[in-house]
Amino acid sequence: MDVRQELVKLAESKPELAYLVRESLEAVDRSGTLLEIEGARLAILGKKGRVSEIFKHLSEVPAEDRPEIGRVANMLRRYVEAELARKSEELKESDAEAMQKRQALDVTLPGRRAPVGRKHLLTQVIEEVTSIFISLGYWIESGPEAELDYYNFEALNTPAYHPSRSLLDTFYIMKNEPDKNSPDDVLLRTHTSPVQVRVMESRTPPLYVVSPGKAYRREAIDATHTAMFYQVEGFAVDRGIHMGHLKGTLEVVARKLFGSERRVRFRPDFFPFTEPSAEVDVSCHVCEGKGCALCKGIGWLEILGCGMIDPNVFEYVGYDPEEYTGFAFGMGIERIAMLKYGIEDIRLFYENDVRFLRQF
Amino acid sequence: MRVSLEWLKDYVDIAVPSNELAELLSMSGSSVDRVIEEGKGLEGVVVGHVVEVRPHPNADKLRIAIVDDGSTMRKIVCGAPNLKEGKKYALALPGARLPSVSDKTMHSATIRGVKSEGMFTSGAELGVNEDTSGIFELGREAPVGVDIRKALSLEDVIFDLEVTPNRPDCMSMMGIAREVAALTGKTLHLPQVEVSEKGPPIDGNARVMINDSAVCPRYTARVIKGAKVADSPLWMQRRLLAAGARPINNIVDVTNYVLLELGQPLHAFDLNLLGEKTIVVRLAHHGELITTLDGVDRQLDDQSLVIADTSKPVALAGVMGGGDSEVTERTSDVLIESAYFEPTSILRTSKRLGIRTEASSRFERGTDHEGTKLAAERAAWLMSELSGGVVAAGDIDVYPNPISPVSIDLRPERVNQLLGTQIAKNETVEILKKLEMEIEDNDVLKVRVPSFRRDLEREIDLIEEIARIHGYWKIPSALPAGGGMDAGLTIGQRLEERVTDSLSAQGLMEVWTDSFMRVEDLDRMRVPQGDRLRDLVTLVNPLAETGEVMRTTIVPGLLRVAARNINRGIKDLALFEQGRVFFAGEPGELPVERQCVDILLSGEKGTYGWGGDEREVDYYDLKGLVENLRAALKVKDLRFEAGDCPCMMPGTCAEVAVGEHTVGYLGRLHPEVADAFHVAGEFYIAELALEPLLDASEAGHEYRPLGRFPSVKLDIAVVVDEELAGSSVGDSIYRNGGEFLQSVRLFDLYHGPQIPHGKKSLAYALEFASTERTLTDEETRVELERIIDTLREEFGAQIRGREQDQGEST
Repeated sequence: MDVRQELVKLAESKPELAYLVRESLEAVDRSGTLLEIEGARLAILGKKGRVSEIFKHLSEVPAEDRPEIGRVANMLRRYVEAELARKSEELKESDAEAMQKRQALDVTLPGRRAPVGRKHLLTQVIEEVTSIFISLGYWIESGPEAELDYYNFEALNTPAYHPSRSLLDTFYIMKNEPDKNSPDDVLLRTHTSPVQVRVMESRTPPLYVVSPGKAYRREAIDATHTAMFYQVEGFAVDRGIHMGHLKGTLEVVARKLFGSERRVRFRPDFFPFTEPSAEVDVSCHVCEGKGCALCKGIGWLEILGCGMIDPNVFEYVGYDPEEYTGFAFGMGIERIAMLKYGIEDIRLFYENDVRFLRQF
Repeated sequence: MRVSLEWLKDYVDIAVPSNELAELLSMSGSSVDRVIEEGKGLEGVVVGHVVEVRPHPNADKLRIAIVDDGSTMRKIVCGAPNLKEGKKYALALPGARLPSVSDKTMHSATIRGVKSEGMFTSGAELGVNEDTSGIFELGREAPVGVDIRKALSLEDVIFDLEVTPNRPDCMSMMGIAREVAALTGKTLHLPQVEVSEKGPPIDGNARVMINDSAVCPRYTARVIKGAKVADSPLWMQRRLLAAGARPINNIVDVTNYVLLELGQPLHAFDLNLLGEKTIVVRLAHHGELITTLDGVDRQLDDQSLVIADTSKPVALAGVMGGGDSEVTERTSDVLIESAYFEPTSILRTSKRLGIRTEASSRFERGTDHEGTKLAAERAAWLMSELSGGVVAAGDIDVYPNPISPVSIDLRPERVNQLLGTQIAKNETVEILKKLEMEIEDNDVLKVRVPSFRRDLEREIDLIEEIARIHGYWKIPSALPAGGGMDAGLTIGQRLEERVTDSLSAQGLMEVWTDSFMRVEDLDRMRVPQGDRLRDLVTLVNPLAETGEVMRTTIVPGLLRVAARNINRGIKDLALFEQGRVFFAGEPGELPVERQCVDILLSGEKGTYGWGGDEREVDYYDLKGLVENLRAALKVKDLRFEAGDCPCMMPGTCAEVAVGEHTVGYLGRLHPEVADAFHVAGEFYIAELALEPLLDASEAGHEYRPLGRFPSVKLDIAVVVDEELAGSSVGDSIYRNGGEFLQSVRLFDLYHGPQIPHGKKSLAYALEFASTERTLTDEETRVELERIIDTLREEFGAQIRGREQDQGEST
C-alpha cells in the first residue's frame, strides 16, 4: 500500500483528521505552477499551515490518540514535501525545454556580415611580388613619375632618335625641341627603370632593390593597352653578380607567382640598357604547357624582360663595370594579374566596377 | 618578318623539322611568333577572272563583278577598292574553307538585295600575307578556275618572326640563314651571281657624285640597257608574296627580291629620266619639293638627304623613290642604286616625314657597307635574266673613305665571370667562328667582326653572342650570395601599407584611376582661379581620351568611378584610392608629386546584412573612417575644424589639420559638383595628403599599463549653444579630466522638447580609474564636479538632470 492510500485510509478512521488531510492532498494536486506549489507548501507545511495546526491542537485530543495522530501528521508532512518537490522539479524541467524551444534559431539563414573591403587586385599582386623580393633580401625604392629624359632614356643607353623618344610614343611635359631629344626634357616615365639610375647615382653597391610604380605610354587604349600601367622594376648590383644569378632569382619569383611546378625559360632579346638581355617565359599554368587559349597555343607565357646591366649604364652613374656587375628586370603588373586570373581586358583594372573588385 | 622555308633552303641545308627550327630560332633571339603552314585546310578557293564590273543597285560602295570561275559565270558582290575588270582574283566558292578566318565553311549570301555566289578574299584571309586592304590579285598567267593552292604552290612553311632592333642583318633571308647555319652547324651557300657584262662600259652612260660623304659614305651603281619591263616569273612572285611583298614588275620585283634576300635596299631609276644621266647625293635645299612614289608632295628641310639628278631631287635617300624617275612599262635603261646611308640621318628623315618603308627600316638600323657591290651585281644579273636587258660593263662605286673593320678584344675568362658558366676557350672560339668572325687566338682573343654585324662593338656584345649560341638554357641557375644590408620595408613604407590595410579592413574598396584629368574637371569642382589645385602640370602631347593635365586631386577620378558603378546599378559605394597628385614645380625643376588618399561614400551602409541594418551613410560615417585611419597610423593630434571647401556643401565640410599643416578636407559633396559629374545622390568625400600624416605618426609609441583596479563609469549630458563646436566640449572634458579620467566618448546628440530652443544636448560617457587603488565615490565626484564647473565657465553649459545646479549658479 502506498503512502497516499495509507494516509487516506488513516484519515477516514480519524474524522478529526479527515478534512485536513483531504484538503491538503487536493491542494497538492491542484498546484500546476511553481507559484501554486509555493502556495501549497505554505498552506500545508508553513508556520501557520495545516500540519502545524494538527500539532498545535494535539493537546486537545485524548492522550491515547495522540501518538497515532502525530504519526499521521508526520506522514502527511513527508508526503507533501516529497510530492511538491517532485512536482516543482518536473515543472522546472519542462520550463527549460520550452525556453530552449523558444530560443532555437534557423541556423541555415545567412549570417550578418560587416561590409568587407578589398585592396585593388593590382595592389595585391604588387604586394605579392615585392614580398617575394623582400624575402630574398631586397628593399624598396621609388622615384618620380614625371621624370627627366636623362633618367628615362639617356642614362639608360637609349639611342637618339629611338622611336620611344618621340612625341608619338611618350607623354612629354616639357620638350625643348619637337624633333630632338634633350636630357632636360621632362616626360612621364615610360618604365620604372629610371629608378635604377637614380639609386645607383646616390648609393654604392651592394644594391638589391625593387621599385614598383606607375609608368605611362602614349598608346591608343584597347583590351591590351592603357596609357597608364604599373611595373615592378628590380635590380641587383654587387661584386661577382652573373647571369646565373639573374636566372636563379627570376626562376624563384616565377615559381612563387605561378606555382612551384612551373618550368621557366630565358629567350635572348634586346633592350638598350641590358646585355645580354632576355625575355622570361613560364610554362602555361592552365594547360601545363600543352597549348590553350591563354597561352595562344604556345604553351608558354611571357612574363617579363631582363638582362645584365649594360656597362654603358654603369659608366653613366660612375661605377666601374670591371668591379661591379648587376642584373635588372621589369615586369608589368597588369600582365601578371591577367595571366594569373585569366583576365582578358586590361581596362577592367581601371574601370573599377565594384563587382570586379570584389572578386579578389 | 616572314621567312619562307622553301626560300631559306637556297642558302642553308635544313635537316630539322620546321617546329624544331622555329624553337632553335626563338631560343637564340629571333623570336618565331607563328609557324604558318600555307594552304593548310584551305579549300574551295579558285582563280576567278573578272569579265565585267557593274554598279550595285542598292549600295554606292559595293559593286557586282561577273566572274568566270573556269566552268561558269558567277555574280560576286564586292566592296574592295582594287576590283578591276579583266583582272584575276582569289575567289572563294560556296562551301569553301578559309582556316585563317574561321573553321566554318563559307555560304553564299545576299548582300543588300543581291545574291553573291561566292566571295573574293584578301591575302590575309588566304593566309598568304598580312594584307587586308583589298582582295588578292593574281598575275595575268594564272590559269582560270584552278585551285588557289596549286596556282600559288601553297605548300610552303612560313615563319613569322620578330627581329630585335639591334639585328638589321637578320632582316634578310641570308641573315636568318646565317643564324640557322651557326645553330645547326650546316654550311652556308651564298646566292648565285654570274653577271655577264655584255653592255657598253658604265662610264659614259651614268655618273655618280656624293656631295656629303658623312651621310652617304658609299654609293654603288649598275646599269642595265634594253630591259623589257614585264611581270616577273611566278617563282619570284610567289617568294615575294610569301615574304609579304606585292609583285609589281620584273625590275622593281628584283630590287625587292634582293632586299629581302641580302638585306641591302636597292632602288631602280629609269636612267633616261635622270637629267644628264647623273646621280647627285646631296642634302636638300630648304623648302625643296619632291613627289614621292606614293603620290604625296613633300617639302624638305636642309637636313634631309636626297638623291638628285643635275636639276632636281629624284628620291628621298634610303626612304622612298620619286615619281619622276620611276620605272614604268616604257623604261628600257635602268640604273640600280645600292648605297650605304648613315643610319641616324635616315631615321631622322623618315620620322620627320612620317614614312617608314622596307628600305628605311633597314638603313636606320645599319646595313652592311661592304655589301653594296654584291647586291648591285646580284640585282643586275637577275634583271638581265628576267628582262632580257644587257648589263653595262663595270660598276660605279663611290666610297671615298672606306669604313675600317671592327676588331674587339675578348677575355675568355670574362665570358664565364659574366655568365656564370665554364665555357672552355676553344668552345668560345668555335662559337665566334661559326658567326663568321676572324680570331687571333692569344690569351686575349682579338676578334674581327664581319661588316654586316653592325651591333658588335664591345666585349659585352661578343659575350652576348656566346651566350646566345651556347644557349641561355645551359647557364646554371644560382642565387646571389648576399642580399642587401637594407633589406625589408622602411617604417614609412610599412605605414603606407597600413593606409590600404586600414581602409580596406573598414569595408572600403580600393580603386585605381587615371593620373590624368581635364582642366574642366576643376571647374566642375568649383575650384577658384588661383587655387593651389590649379598649379597644373600640362602635357605637351595628350591623348584625347585621357585628359590634358596631370591630376592635382583624385576627386574627379573617384566621381567617374562612382558614376560608372551607379550607371551599372551599383549604388551603395564605399571607395578609396591612394595615389599621386602632381603640381607644377619651380622653373627648371620637376613637377612636385604628392601622395594622397581619398575616400568616397554614397548610398546605404550595412547592406551585407538583413533585418533592418541598412541606413543611408552620413558625414559621421566618413569621419569615423578617417578617425580609424588616424588611429592605424598612430597620429595623435588630428584636428577637424569647420571648413569651407568650395566643392563641399556649405556647413558640411571639415578641414583636417595635423600640427601646423592642413592635410585635407572631408564633407558632403556640393550638389552642383555632383551634377557636373553626372551623378545623383549624396556623396561624402575626403581627400587627405598622406605625407604630413605619415610624418606625424608616432608608430613607436609606448604601451599603457592595464589598470588592476575597477573603473567608475559616469554619464553626463551637457546642454550648450547650438553654434558651439561640439568637439570643444569633448576636448574640454578631456583636458580638465584630471589624472583619473581614462576615456571620454560622445554617445548622443539630442535636440528635443526638453532642450531649450537654440541649444543642443551632448551626452558623454566618462570612465575614471586609478592605477594604484580603487577610487572612492567621493574622489570621482570631485573629479566630475571640476569638469562640470569648467564646462559652465567655458561654455555657460547646463548639465541635464541637475536642475538644482541652475539654482546654485543663478
